[in-house]
Amino acid sequence: MTVGALTAAQAGLVSCETCKLLSRPVHLDEPGHCPRCGAALELRRVHSIQYTWALVIAAAICYIPANMLPVMVSKTFATSDAETIIGGVVFLYTSGSWPLALIVLVASVMVPLGKLIALGYLLISVQRGMLGGCRERTRLYRMVEFIGRWSMLDVFVDTFTVALVQLQPLMSVVPGPGVLFFAAVVVLTMLAAETFDSRLIWDAGSKMESQDG
Amino acid sequence: MADGNERDDLPQATVVPKRRTRVSIVWIIPILAAVVAVGIAVQRVLSEGPTISIVFKGAQGIEAGKTFVKYKDVNIGQVTAVQLSEDYTRVTVTAKMAKSAAGLMVEDAAFWVVEPRITLSGVSGLGTLLSGNYIGFEAGKSDSRRRDFTGLEVPPIITGDQPGRQFVLKADNLGSLGIGSPVYYRRLQAGQVIAYNLADDGQAVEIKIFVNAPFDRYVNPGTRFWNASGFDVSLGAEGVDVRTQSMVALIAGGMAFETPPFAPPAEAAVANTVFTLYGEQEAAMKQPEPLAKRYVLYFTESLRGLSVGAPVTLLGLPGGEVTHVGLDIDPVTQRLRGRVEFVAFPERLVEQLIASGQAAAGESIARSNRARQDFFEQMVEKQGLRAQIQSGNLLTGQRYVAFDYHPNAAKAKIDWSQERPVLPAVPSTLPDFESKIGSILAKLDKLPYEAIGTDTRKVLETFNQTLKDTDKAIKRLDSEVTPELKKALEEFRRATVSADRAIKNTDAALLAPDAAGQQELRDAMREVARAARSLRVLTDYLERHPEALLRGKN
Repeated sequence: MTVGALTAAQAGLVSCETCKLLSRPVHLDEPGHCPRCGAALELRRVHSIQYTWALVIAAAICYIPANMLPVMVSKTFATSDAETIIGGVVFLYTSGSWPLALIVLVASVMVPLGKLIALGYLLISVQRGMLGGCRERTRLYRMVEFIGRWSMLDVFVDTFTVALVQLQPLMSVVPGPGVLFFAAVVVLTMLAAETFDSRLIWDAGSKMESQDG
Repeated sequence: MADGNERDDLPQATVVPKRRTRVSIVWIIPILAAVVAVGIAVQRVLSEGPTISIVFKGAQGIEAGKTFVKYKDVNIGQVTAVQLSEDYTRVTVTAKMAKSAAGLMVEDAAFWVVEPRITLSGVSGLGTLLSGNYIGFEAGKSDSRRRDFTGLEVPPIITGDQPGRQFVLKADNLGSLGIGSPVYYRRLQAGQVIAYNLADDGQAVEIKIFVNAPFDRYVNPGTRFWNASGFDVSLGAEGVDVRTQSMVALIAGGMAFETPPFAPPAEAAVANTVFTLYGEQEAAMKQPEPLAKRYVLYFTESLRGLSVGAPVTLLGLPGGEVTHVGLDIDPVTQRLRGRVEFVAFPERLVEQLIASGQAAAGESIARSNRARQDFFEQMVEKQGLRAQIQSGNLLTGQRYVAFDYHPNAAKAKIDWSQERPVLPAVPSTLPDFESKIGSILAKLDKLPYEAIGTDTRKVLETFNQTLKDTDKAIKRLDSEVTPELKKALEEFRRATVSADRAIKNTDAALLAPDAAGQQELRDAMREVARAARSLRVLTDYLERHPEALLRGKN
């Protein structure tokens, strides 16, 4: 499919987002419901850009405390150690297990940050009506959507450790406030990826086509 | 149809699509996130205590993020960074303090590393064996805030709220004193050494001591301190003198203080008063200089055994001491003579005046030069008070100067105009002995040994005759007295036999196998054997289960 191809919206048709059935909308403003599966039809998701922006900004805000606050506090009878994500990475690296450090760095620091940057880039490109690289941007979007769920791994490990290591009074691990923010980042970026309507990437090209034509 | 359709040339109105400018409710999410994040940040900033830096010589056992700063065993901060100082000679420890402890970070607050310490005067910091070293803290009294501190190398021994007072002692050298060395008052531990350093001019050592609360009252400006470290063995004219304060002082060094009886009564000394630390009790308790008077004595005899510090006695009571022994040329006879200088402490002698009426008179003698001169003059001129070297201790050969009355001594006068008046002396009696023995020998020489020889022979002949007479007398005695004597001996033997019987009876009572004493002794021995056996069982058990010492036998 090339950039200039005819879109369903241009043809006055609407595709069901759930079952992908192409149907004639009742009215362009209120397309009605899918005749096959009954899902509400939308030409383009309402407020997709605004919703996505809101969620991306919220995630970006949460990203800061997620990295600054400790995600895990391990207490022995004498000491209490609060580790942030970066602190954990540094600890793993200095203690010699750099592959583990790399995994944590990629999964917990770079992936959420990458998702935020990617979503921000997609939103800006759509808002500015960018023409080129539609295919690449769509691939990027798919990647963001796919990778999102894996970031919860961190939260999972954290809760798991907290539940397992409760050797009072010798040693115990309690979750730090950072892990809440981290989970918030993951959830918010997943939601943002969900609310972003990828069809908007192609709209700019088609609009241009139609104006040209 | 309507008109509109007929006028095709009219422009078509455009439909402006209704723009939905309404702000979506979704923006609550980022706003909420921002509020929470900002809230946490604000709370963090508000609860943030001061960050301080402490410079240590070494940072043994201090780790960033692990080491706490503790005051009275309460965490008041945590070490956040440990770095070398810019010139790489020291360690800069950065610590984040709790907000509640911000008020404690003042000018004279003290920090030190708490680690297990085993010193002669005690064991401390054993808890850190488990918990790791931490930084101890001691609050200061100042009001001015401070953020960079220099850590102490050793923990302060005295914490700020301990009642008592600190004093400074100046000494020639530190001796065997160290931090923690005890300070004694009447052989009770009254305080300890808390610090020492070389005086700025390098000529003395300044020792800081802390005297605990009930004892600090007894330190007044007249108090003397002396070093009571280890043994103090002195060999003087008074014999061998060994002194020590306690076993701790023997090992770790120590000092003692006392207020001499002659010191004027005074209020307790204020904190940080400077005192002199004397080398020994003798020196410390000596009379102050002002009343001490110096005198000179000349002797023509040997001064061997008379050393500096030897006592000077008046009628056998100590009243001064020799300060200098040397030679001098007599300006009149051009002859070398011994010159002995001594210092007299009139007050000490006055103290010995027991009769109450005489104390005042004695006081005036001790205090006023005039009165003393008059008094001495009449003693020397009328009663013949003279100095004489005497042997104090035949074993060590130590000698001393004694003032005694010699009524037959030649007349003498004291010249008070000199700075150090010369007191008259008489030769010691020891040289007298020698001359007497000499004259005895000379007399023996002159004896008429020949005449004595013949006389003796005559005497012997007479003696022979006498012996013969005696022999006769004895023979007679034999025939007359012996039977009587035999009878007496038999009587005596009978007495002995009955005495023997009595002793045997006693033996039977005490030593027979069934005697009561024996029985008890045997019981006692059996008890001892049983005790020894159970002791052996205990040591066996302990050898196998040493933990039983702590946990008990179980």
